[in-house]
Amino acid sequence: MKRWQMIKLGLILAMYTIVGCVGLAFVYNSTSKTIAQRQEADLQAGLREVFPKATGFTPTDTVKSTNPTIVFDAAYTANGPSGSLGIAVKVHGPSYGGPTTLIVGVSIDGTITGVKVLENKDTPGLGANAASPTYYVDKASKTTFSGQFASKKLTDGFVVKKDVIAITSATITSRAITNLVQAVGKAASEVLGTGSSSPSPSSQDPSAVLPSADTVRTSSVPGVSILETSVGTKAGTIVGAIAKAKAKSYDGEVTVLVGVSTDGTILGVQILECTDSQGSPILAPEFAQQFAGKKAGAPLEVGTNIDAASGTTSSSRGATALVKATADALVKALAGGGL
Amino acid sequence: MKRLFGVFVNGLIIENPLFIIMIGLCSAMAVTTTVANGIGMGVALTFVLVMSELIISLFRNLIPESIRMPIFLIVIAAFTTIMDLEMKAYFPVLSKSMGVFIPLVVVNCIVMGRVEAFSSKQPVLDAVFDGLGMGIGYTWVLIAISVVRELLGNGTLLGRQIMPSSFAPMIFFILPPGGFLVFALWMAASNDLRRRLLAGRKPEPTQDSCCTLPDNSSAEKA
Repeated sequence: MKRWQMIKLGLILAMYTIVGCVGLAFVYNSTSKTIAQRQEADLQAGLREVFPKATGFTPTDTVKSTNPTIVFDAAYTANGPSGSLGIAVKVHGPSYGGPTTLIVGVSIDGTITGVKVLENKDTPGLGANAASPTYYVDKASKTTFSGQFASKKLTDGFVVKKDVIAITSATITSRAITNLVQAVGKAASEVLGTGSSSPSPSSQDPSAVLPSADTVRTSSVPGVSILETSVGTKAGTIVGAIAKAKAKSYDGEVTVLVGVSTDGTILGVQILECTDSQGSPILAPEFAQQFAGKKAGAPLEVGTNIDAASGTTSSSRGATALVKATADALVKALAGGGL
Repeated sequence: MKRLFGVFVNGLIIENPLFIIMIGLCSAMAVTTTVANGIGMGVALTFVLVMSELIISLFRNLIPESIRMPIFLIVIAAFTTIMDLEMKAYFPVLSKSMGVFIPLVVVNCIVMGRVEAFSSKQPVLDAVFDGLGMGIGYTWVLIAISVVRELLGNGTLLGRQIMPSSFAPMIFFILPPGGFLVFALWMAASNDLRRRLLAGRKPEPTQDSCCTLPDNSSAEKA
């Protein structure tokens, strides 16, 4: 008797569930088309917003995200009247209240053309202001949070509260969006071939003049990885080459930018980043300036012809070795390329 | 007719779901940072509440006592999903700014509480009027809170700049502590009004325990 009662109740519950599901199926059917159209229209409007001059958009799959939490949903080449204008990427990544979705445009000259927030689930009135067209981070110039990225160069800093104005009381949202913009910028510039940190922008595609881009990468120094290279030209002739390189240092990594002239002289050095625990003093320009004018072939040693930055002998040694290796590789590349 | 009117008015002040029964507070705190969100959430909840009360009151004799809770949930969840889909299709901006709170109407205590306490025992018309009264009672409180919070916290009303540009927005009111403060002040005002309304008349014996004022019993549901 009791068992029959249970089966009966189960059947009644199943009836209600079926009726509910059928009802939902009808509503879903009637709204899913509208919802899809809306999302498509939103996407198109967003693409237009970041590339107002584009005549059309072609999907592309060349842009890849290197960060597993940042997902590129779709990427488009913006077509202009005379060739490609740049790349627009629809991207989503984690933010304060769930994933946030943006469209980021990157032009072929390495600037962000615009950022549009498609979806943001952060706190209404705080993080959600990222998507608001009337919330200004700079009231005087009426710049919205996402608006401040427009025409920002990829070589500029992307540190929230320093280079990027944060939304009041929503630092996490501000950081999340800035990270997404930067990730897209990086990935897109790799595809577009705009060196993201060369101080003297080259007019030529680096890989065309420097087949050495490959030669340089197979640098004989273990532990050194050359990230980017480009050549500097003056009145059409090549005057030197620049490389960004990274290597292990004391207990972190150091990233440098080294410029070498065709005659094998180090033109300049910048220490871009140092993650050693006590390594920050080597970021001071005084340390990097010591390299300028030295011959790449000459030995560079901390203590003999390079003074260590105070308190960071190990990091100074790491950076010096990296500069030396990079300069050697560049000299070899410039010579080997028959330049 | 007079009885139905009584049921309707009941939810506005005398037995306001937020100020007196004190259920469904989390969504009320979370979405009231802007007036548009407050209105949107209020309308969404009113829709779900009225439809769920209507259906459950209609089928109240066909719902076995022992499985009434899952059946209530199925009905409420179905209407919430319908609401969510319709909003996504026709009010995408509102739907985006409300985020997760629309799907969460399913577990809003006001809906479950009213369905269980009222519409599962009352005739259809009464249930519909109760849903309307409770829904509007919820909505006006949301609007009242969000007007203060948006005006003081952002200087705007419905997105339009109201305060002079010299006014520095007080972020405190947008943040949760400000929400609690504004809520408490409105509750004090509302309770004062309620006391004066009730002072004039004797508490009438109502047909069901849910309509008298259980000062503490219904709070447990929250």
